[in-house]
Amino acid sequence: MNASAWQMLLEGAWTTVWISGISIALGVVAGLIIALIRIAKIPVVDQILVLYTSLARATPLVTLTLFIFLSAPTFGINLDRNVAGILALTLNTTAFNAEIWRSAFRNFSRDQREAAMAAGMTPWITFRRIMLPQMVITSLPGLINEMSFLIKGSPAIAVIGIVDLTRVTNRISAVTYEPLPPILVACVLYMAVIGCLVWLQRIAERQANRLAV
Amino acid sequence: MSNWEILWSARDQFWVGFLRTMEIFGLSISVAFVIGCALLYLLEGSRPRLTVPLRVFIDGMRMLPFLILAYLLYYGLPSFGIRLDAWWAGVGALAVYHGCYIGEIFRGSRITFPPGQVEAAKAHGFTKGKMFFRLILPQIVMQTRPLLGNQLIYALKDTAFLVIITVRELTAAANSLSGTYFIPTEAFIVVIGFYWAVSVVMEVIIKQCGRFSAKRGFDNA
Amino acid sequence: MPDANPSTAGHRENDRSGATAVAIRNLSKSFDDVEVLRDVNLEVKKGDVVTILGSSGSGKSTLLRCINWLEQPERGSIHIAGERIGMTDEGRAMSVKALARVRAKTGMVFQGFNLWPHLNVLHNVTEAPIHVLGKSKHEAETHARALLEKVGMSHKMDAYPNTLSGGQKQRVAIARALAMQPEVMLFDEPTSALDPELVGEVLAVIKDLSAEGYTMVIVTHEMAFSRAVSDQVVFLEKGLIIEKADPETFFTNPSTERVRKFLERND
Repeated sequence: MNASAWQMLLEGAWTTVWISGISIALGVVAGLIIALIRIAKIPVVDQILVLYTSLARATPLVTLTLFIFLSAPTFGINLDRNVAGILALTLNTTAFNAEIWRSAFRNFSRDQREAAMAAGMTPWITFRRIMLPQMVITSLPGLINEMSFLIKGSPAIAVIGIVDLTRVTNRISAVTYEPLPPILVACVLYMAVIGCLVWLQRIAERQANRLAV
Repeated sequence: MSNWEILWSARDQFWVGFLRTMEIFGLSISVAFVIGCALLYLLEGSRPRLTVPLRVFIDGMRMLPFLILAYLLYYGLPSFGIRLDAWWAGVGALAVYHGCYIGEIFRGSRITFPPGQVEAAKAHGFTKGKMFFRLILPQIVMQTRPLLGNQLIYALKDTAFLVIITVRELTAAANSLSGTYFIPTEAFIVVIGFYWAVSVVMEVIIKQCGRFSAKRGFDNA
Repeated sequence: MPDANPSTAGHRENDRSGATAVAIRNLSKSFDDVEVLRDVNLEVKKGDVVTILGSSGSGKSTLLRCINWLEQPERGSIHIAGERIGMTDEGRAMSVKALARVRAKTGMVFQGFNLWPHLNVLHNVTEAPIHVLGKSKHEAETHARALLEKVGMSHKMDAYPNTLSGGQKQRVAIARALAMQPEVMLFDEPTSALDPELVGEVLAVIKDLSAEGYTMVIVTHEMAFSRAVSDQVVFLEKGLIIEKADPETFFTNPSTERVRKFLERND
């Protein structure tokens, strides 16, 4: 592999990282919002969200990405590839994150909530000051795990022509006629990124365990 | 003709794609299950020198995207003179990849397996192999079934990646139909419906297994 | 707004003016079909210590939890320092904000401590004063330090709850409740979850508070403690108050056979 091949690989890695990063950030926040809406149990809205969760769990990312990218123009929307990719990844990860947030909310200690109420806290203050900080800590391991899944799913965006870390190996071997080296380097780069997340997840788990006493 | 009528007239292509996907899924997940069981057996400790390399292999696989493994088999193996067609590369990648995940699921459950049962079996003169197949494996499979169910759904979803290495499966069918007739929305809604239906059916089956296993007392083991 | 001066916070020494801190009238409550409180009437004067005794399942914890509306009674009324809790005077349910405001007049100490594990000791105590009473951080912390000193926990200010013993946790929980400068302190079996050797340190703190004139309602199983701190002892049986007396009378000459048996058994 020559210098330009290395540069292409790093560009591919960057594409994977920034598109995944934006989707993760959006997905974590959107997941919390959806979890809270589901906890409020608003009729009809709740059923729609249940259906969304079920569909998002079952729909392959490749299929979802193609669906969004190809059908948007038929509604008169011209989606940039990157936007379509981010949208697909976000729609997928949000559903999983919402479940993580929701279970953190449901498993929250009733005793602690009572202590907050007894101290005269309104439900909003209780949520913001007592529940949310702890929900973040208890959800973090699950959320980080879901981030790894998102990165492992991110090559799906290659299907609409985004040159991510997986797709770029094709581009390189089209020039060098040696497909194996770039694929192996891509493997190592993926392992580095996901290895970092696994490590962070362990730290987050330790924090969460410390809380659960 | 409305868009839906066009789709109806092209129903054979969906059906073929669906069968292709189910074929790939069924074969690869069966092999993956066998790989998972084999990994569990090999990690039982009778071959201590294998333990570390196997753990590294499993953890390595779990840090890779599925597609890059499919690339490795499809584009990379020819460098060693092994040429697989896209279908076999896809099935092989799915089987190995999800085999490792299943192996890890089993390993996690094996750690919490009550040692008293193993000792009792040894005391009754069970051989290692018999103990594994008659005692350990069945209980671990039943105990991990919710996780296995999730893994089935992940594996089903991963079959769609194979469209990128040109396998003609369900998502490929939608892609080509939407290209031919320019009705992407409807074509993909149908295909997502297929994936969704299969997932729901699998979830129901897993739940039914739960009832069976509760009856057999597997859950309070 | 209660007195903001930390040294006199919630501290009503020798205040026997006869003002009522808690007034419970005709209180009834059932869980499903089981009546746990039946027409309970109780008045707690400012500066008084009332202990509630009774066997388990007698409804004594439920009665205490009704006082700050953690349980909602079906009938009857509760007034905290003259203000009705839970219901408006027109008999409608209070808004959550109004309820929170009245609840802030009570301080509660739970059997299971219920400290907030994500906050250190100091912040457990300052959290509600800052975010409910609207105190400044500085003011809340000054007050919290004084209270932690009082319960003997000032050396653990920066520790997190999971590093404390049960007795230490409960003393922090007491400081947390005091920090709200409540009209009345409610104790729900404060020593029942403690190892026997840790009971003493918590009871000693509560005794100090009673000497300082805090108004307190205490559900407990500790007879000697009850006798030592109470101005009034209440005995609950199957949701009914069957004996209400000063501690001398209650422990030496109870009027009901049931209480006599109870005292014999718990001697």
